[in-house]
Amino acid sequence: MPKTLIVGEIQGGSLRESTLELVALARGLGGDVVSVLLGSGIGGTAEELSNKGGGKVLAADHAGLEQYSADGYASVIRQAIEQESPDLILIGNTPSGWDVAPKLAAALDAGIITDVFKIEEAGGDLLFTRRLFNGKFDGQFRVAGTPKIATVQPGAINAYEGSDAGSVEALSAAPESRTKFLELRTAAAGGHDLTKAEIIVSGGRGLGKPENFEAVLKPLVEALGAQMGASRPVVDAGWLPHEYQVGSSGQVVQPKLYIAVGISGAIQHLVGMKNSNFIIAINKDPDAPIFEVADMGAAVDLFELVPALAKAVAAAKG
Amino acid sequence: MKILVCLKQVPHKDARLEIGSDGTWIKEDGIKFEINDYDNYALEEALRLKDAGEAEVVVATIGPDRVTQSLRTALGMGADRAIHVWDDSLANADSLGIAKVLAAVAKEENFDVVFCGLMSDDSNYAMVGPMLAQLLDIPHVTAVVKTDFENGAVKVEKELEGGTLEVSQVPLPCLLAVQTGINEVRYASLKGIMQAKKKPLDKKALSDIGLDGAAVAPKLSIEKIYTPPKGEGANLLSGSADEIATQMVGKIKELGLL
Repeated sequence: MPKTLIVGEIQGGSLRESTLELVALARGLGGDVVSVLLGSGIGGTAEELSNKGGGKVLAADHAGLEQYSADGYASVIRQAIEQESPDLILIGNTPSGWDVAPKLAAALDAGIITDVFKIEEAGGDLLFTRRLFNGKFDGQFRVAGTPKIATVQPGAINAYEGSDAGSVEALSAAPESRTKFLELRTAAAGGHDLTKAEIIVSGGRGLGKPENFEAVLKPLVEALGAQMGASRPVVDAGWLPHEYQVGSSGQVVQPKLYIAVGISGAIQHLVGMKNSNFIIAINKDPDAPIFEVADMGAAVDLFELVPALAKAVAAAKG
Repeated sequence: MKILVCLKQVPHKDARLEIGSDGTWIKEDGIKFEINDYDNYALEEALRLKDAGEAEVVVATIGPDRVTQSLRTALGMGADRAIHVWDDSLANADSLGIAKVLAAVAKEENFDVVFCGLMSDDSNYAMVGPMLAQLLDIPHVTAVVKTDFENGAVKVEKELEGGTLEVSQVPLPCLLAVQTGINEVRYASLKGIMQAKKKPLDKKALSDIGLDGAAVAPKLSIEKIYTPPKGEGANLLSGSADEIATQMVGKIKELGLL
């Protein structure tokens, strides 16, 4: 049973939910659990983590850790690793987690795997499961040597809900960063707020060209009185502005009805819409991951179905 | 300014992927390959610096013979020269092994900026960039969506979650792992493709860069890959477009939305 070091994360002053998911994962493996938490003025959060299953929490409390930096965080996490000699280090696959984990692995010459959604013991070794090819396949992996580092997909595991008395220990840190933090800013929001929409019809690369959003998708959007959304590739290609993007790096939505048209369902898109009340997917590839989260779907040519659907909706409205 | 762009060749977006006979990777025979999409944006970002002034853009990749085509494409887009490293022992290399090879390549010259894509479209690991930066002892930023070079430093915007951006100042030399959508990627012009044929393309073995198979032995191994088990999944409708549309409308009515 591996001794696990959890790298906790603070988001907006509170303990990030993904940290408690790491706790659940580590405890499920059955070995000792210790945690490290980095930030500034984090006494209360460290206490909270220690009472929510994080075990002994090493609290690195330093003004220089208020903002994430790869240099600063890597050096402090290394300190914790040297002190605790864990077999396994778990880090959330978040913008700071995916940034620091590979740096740590290279510094320690340690084996690493990113974005896993499952870790299980098998024959005295650990088996890690994650997606490949943007969700088309899953893979099972082994990581040689000790320690092993894994980043874990947020939301993949239910958060630990127990309360256990742990302890908090200060970890004296002297972080330095070559990168200078300047500011956080919000990407231009535009006027296209999808988070309050009742119905969203989103289009993906399957629409083929930007003109088809107007010609093919819009009649359906209008017939339903819906809002139009889009997948990341569509926005990256400049077909629609960023404010249309649904997904982890765009808007996270939860409408009563979400219709995905020509969207294969990359993880980053699914994260943004899978909690919609009802999902209809239209995509020509029956194996597209979008059908896994959809309630109803059709693996047909969207250019035939979408106009027919727009017409049927208009007719139903009378 | 001297810029290194790390490229990976991956299966074409529209390739029909099947699991290979040993069950640990896809069947690579008979499918088309292309430059990883993220890396195209990395290359474009470098070429924009070249367009703006004095910069030499070197592209490097690791892979079997087929990757030469992608290097020619990159040269056709405007890169000045290319480095191709291959050794059969790299066939099962993990990200750290790849980063060690790229670090050995980078250490032979002094690059001011190293550009990578945030991740590759095949394995989606997103590891090589930060690893390479660590091995070169230079700072890095991932998920870069904007760069602004000025006075030996670069102001960078990193994409966080939910539309938040982190702005920071990074001294050169540094490594930037770029997000898709950071720019609009150019196509190779006909003239560019003609010129590319005359541009240098260095082939290197591991021994040429002071490494051997043992130095890049993988720690990460794939046990098996498989099609994700179907959950409950969607209720897949069949019939003509009109029949399917009618069933969908029925459901939308039932949801009280019509």
